[in-house]
Formats: sequence, C-alpha cells, structure tokens
Amino acid sequence: MRERAAAGSWQRWVTLVARLILGVTLIVAGALKVTAIDAAINSVRAYKLLPFEVTALVGTALPIIEIVIGLMLVTGTFTRVAAVLGSGLMLAFIIGIISVWVRGISIDCGCFAPGGAIDASQTQYPLEVARDLGLLILGAWTIWRPTAPFALDAWLFADAEPITTDADQENPR
Amino acid sequence: MSQNRREQLRKAEQAAARQQRLTRIIGVGAGLLVVVIVAVFAVVLISQANKAATAAPTAGQATPPHALADNLGIRPYPNATPQAGAPVVELFFDYQCPICKQFETIYGASLEKLASSGQIDLRYRPMIFLDVNLQNDASLRAGVAAACADTAGKYREYHDQIFANQPEQEGAGYADSLLRDTLSTKAGLSGDALTSFQKCYDGKLTQTWVQAQEDAGEKAGVTGTPTFKVNGKDVALKEFSNVSADQLGELIKKFS
Repeated sequence: MRERAAAGSWQRWVTLVARLILGVTLIVAGALKVTAIDAAINSVRAYKLLPFEVTALVGTALPIIEIVIGLMLVTGTFTRVAAVLGSGLMLAFIIGIISVWVRGISIDCGCFAPGGAIDASQTQYPLEVARDLGLLILGAWTIWRPTAPFALDAWLFADAEPITTDADQENPR
Repeated sequence: MSQNRREQLRKAEQAAARQQRLTRIIGVGAGLLVVVIVAVFAVVLISQANKAATAAPTAGQATPPHALADNLGIRPYPNATPQAGAPVVELFFDYQCPICKQFETIYGASLEKLASSGQIDLRYRPMIFLDVNLQNDASLRAGVAAACADTAGKYREYHDQIFANQPEQEGAGYADSLLRDTLSTKAGLSGDALTSFQKCYDGKLTQTWVQAQEDAGEKAGVTGTPTFKVNGKDVALKEFSNVSADQLGELIKKFS
C-alpha cells in the first residue's frame, strides 16, 4: 500500500488535475443549462437523434446529472464511479456531435449554452469534438487511477483494518 | 488469556470499523441520490411555474380566419386557389431568426408569385422556440400580432413588416409599441380594423393558436428555422445555396 502510493505519487497529482478540470467543466456546463430547461430540451431536439417524447426527459435530466457528476469529481466522492459516468457522458456527446456533423445538420452543440440551428459556416464540430475528446481522456485517466489527494473517498473508504505497523501492534489503544 | 482477550477486542474493533465504513458509504451514496431526486423535482417545478406564467389568457382566444386546420399554419395568400396537384410548400420560421429574414428577403417575392398564381399551396408555419433560447417573449408577441392582423386580412403585409423591422442584434426583441402601433399602421391597418387589431394584441387573443403552431412544428421534427418543406419533405438549406429567386419554382418542382 505504502509502496504503491510512493510509486504513483506523481500520478495522484495528475488525477487531481484531471478530476478538477472534468468536474468543473461539467458543473459549469450543467449550471448554464439548468436555469433554462426548455432551451436545454430544444438543444437536445436539435440533434434529431432521440424520439420527441424522450428529448424532454433528457434535456431536463442532463444538466442535473452534469452538475452532480461534476460535484462528485471535484470533491472526490466515489471518484471512479463519477469518472465512469463522466466519461460516458463525454462519449455520448462525441457520438452526438459526430452524428450531426455526418448528417450535415448545422447546430451549435449546446454544450455550455442553449444550442440549436445555426448557419453552416458557424459550426465548430472539430473543436467541439476535440474538447470532448480531451475531457474523455481526463475521465479515462481518473478511472484508471482514481486515487488522488483532497478526496472525500479517503475518508469514505478509510480502511476498516487498522494499518498494522509495529508500533500499532505494540500499542493497541 | 490476556492474548485471547486482546484478540477479541481487536476483532470487535475491526467489525465496528467495517460497519462504520459501510454506513458511511451507503449514507453518502443515498445522500447523493436524494440530492439528484430533489434537484429533478425542483427543476421540473420551476420550469412548470415559468410555463404557467406565459400561459395564454383563457377568455376570448381566437383562431385567425385563414389558419389551417390541425395547427398546420396559415395561408399567407388566402385569395389564391392552388391548382390541382400543386405541391404543398411549408415555410417554418421564427420572427427572431435572422436567417429567416434573409430567406424572406431573397425568396419572399418568388413565393408570392408562385402562391398567387396557384402553382404552389403555400403555408406559413410560425414557430417561437427562439423565445426560449433568447430568454424573451418577442417571437410569441410577434406571432400573436401577425395572427391578429389576419383578422383584418393583413397577415402577409404584417408578416413582411415584422421581418423588415427585425432588430440588428438577435435577441433585442420587438417592443410592444412597435408591434401594436407602428407595424400595424405600416401594414395598412386603420380605423376599426386597427382598433380591433390592437384589442386582439392587448388581449393576446391568438396566443393559444401561436403556441399550438410551435408544438405542431416541434412534433413535425422542426428544430431549426427556416425549415422549408415540399409535400412534407425537408429541403435542406444547402439546396438553396446556388438557387436564385427566379429558380425557386424549379427547385420546388425538383422536390415535389
């Protein structure tokens, strides 16, 4: 346990940075949309991927889910679970953006603000995909190495077994 | 004995620690779930409250005389009779959409020619979703005003005035005074017609109809404007890129 921590000490800090960037991005993206749910629903509809009735549900739930996953990542609560969910979101976003790109639909991704149809010359699909891909990589790293400093997980998953050192054995409280 | 007792103590301590750990994990997990559920309820309630605030007044709601049944829009040239077999051409637009204004500027006259001569069955389908995106109610109010003008037979004229006076900056919206007084006069309303138009606008008497057009458009899969449909099929905007106003008729023929 000690050895692993020592070997991966720099990795813990990479995870912290990855966790914070992905988490803060998700919180900001969610917060900007949660105040205008109808617009978020329109953004989802603009992708023309989901059946009409489902778009309302997804549009409503997505900003909340983003905020909650973001908070989990920032605080380091169930870090690995949060990273899996966050990476899943990014993967879904990438698929969504590529699918509108391929189908020749001109929209703003609606990632950080109400999206919708825009002029074809204003689309930024490569940039949007690249950004989400970067975030996906951060998420994947966090899944691989979820342990990082300043995480609630350290308290949450604190070992039930007392850490047995020589001193502890001599001195069992 | 002492060794045994110490061992027992240690085991009990470990069990208690394990129990605490489990309680912590379940507690925090359950707490997160509760937060999500409460947040979903709060957001849904707030958005419903906002919707209630923009609900149409219940008294005196009217449908414009030249509206089509089933919320399929309105006929901008009600005096024209489409020839037998003329394609149904639908234009979905939002009064706050700059590209809709461009579209109208380029193709408006051609559409008028085709519709007036009965070569196409032209239907205008107003939408108001930009209100949501731009966080105002200008598309709704402009739509209400245009529908009110239809009562006096001036829908088309009023529609043109709205686009001609679209604010430079998207989102600036339309002032009540502009819609109520300025554009109505410019569209040729006067006397009793103007008075009843203003009464209609003040009472938002066509709001239910306008909101129903938006819903119908959404259900028809329209998520952006302008959307141009020929016989119910989308004609993508890129099809218009090399099409001059004079060639519009051929384009419509190609898709019908």
